[in-house]
Amino acid sequence: MTRKALEHSLTCINFDMIINHPLLGPRDSEEFVYLGSADLINRPNWESETAIEDFHEYQYIRENVAGDNVELWYHEQGDQSWLVVTRSTLTHEIKSVELASDYAKNNGRSR
Amino acid sequence: MSNYSLTKISALEGARHDFDGLSLTEIVDQSLVMMAMPRNKTDKITKALNSSCGLSIPIIGQSGRSDDDSITLWRLQKDQLMVYFPYANDDADNYLKNKFKAPAYYTDQSDTWAMINVSGEESVNVLERICPLNLDLRTFTVGTVSRTVMEHIGTIIYREGRDSFVILTMRSFGISMMHALEVSAKNVL
Repeated sequence: MTRKALEHSLTCINFDMIINHPLLGPRDSEEFVYLGSADLINRPNWESETAIEDFHEYQYIRENVAGDNVELWYHEQGDQSWLVVTRSTLTHEIKSVELASDYAKNNGRSR
Repeated sequence: MSNYSLTKISALEGARHDFDGLSLTEIVDQSLVMMAMPRNKTDKITKALNSSCGLSIPIIGQSGRSDDDSITLWRLQKDQLMVYFPYANDDADNYLKNKFKAPAYYTDQSDTWAMINVSGEESVNVLERICPLNLDLRTFTVGTVSRTVMEHIGTIIYREGRDSFVILTMRSFGISMMHALEVSAKNVL
């Protein structure tokens, strides 16, 4: 096997799509639906002076991260919870998982 | 006007398949009621369940049994309980509402699911081919219950005993789920 081929196969071995659910333990990603960036949690204030720009950014503008991306996953075929998953877009390694409600509270939301 | 009388039949008409070390049997004598727990009512529900039949609310992914062992509570998710218990009439939700007197929302789901009992020493070997969860007895202990995906379809799996599982799938998928279990049994045994 050439060096290049070996590197490729190692990447495949590291392809880790088990999501360690905070309440239920390790689950196959097949049970989940991916909903995009966790920025969606922070809905802008519609009464703000800059509401139009804020909503444009909220709706359309996404970072195309090569590295750790913070994103929303929904456990549709499980307990129907919303999770915030930090996933490396380079390796698919899942670095942290927390309930979206906890994430929102930790980031200043009241509920 | 015609005078119809409807007789209910179970999803799989009482199907049973026996293999060496494995039985697949439709469960026909149990009812299923969903209890949705309103926010801030958990304490009242806990008290009502306890005083009516000695039940407590299990942690998520676990189950609990009443004093007389007849009623099983499945805690599938944060604000929801499933009650699995032997009951033959068509008013399972009202029956539980009156029995528990707990401030929750009750929905009878008895005939919306096909329920299959997988039992015998080969159960885990047959199930592990089609169930993505780790069914090792140390991880998926007796009394563990969970929703998951089997054959691409949402399924509830409950470990009733060391070698006995209850599989719930939507009623219209029941025959296919039974087929999947039979195929897995033929592949393994």
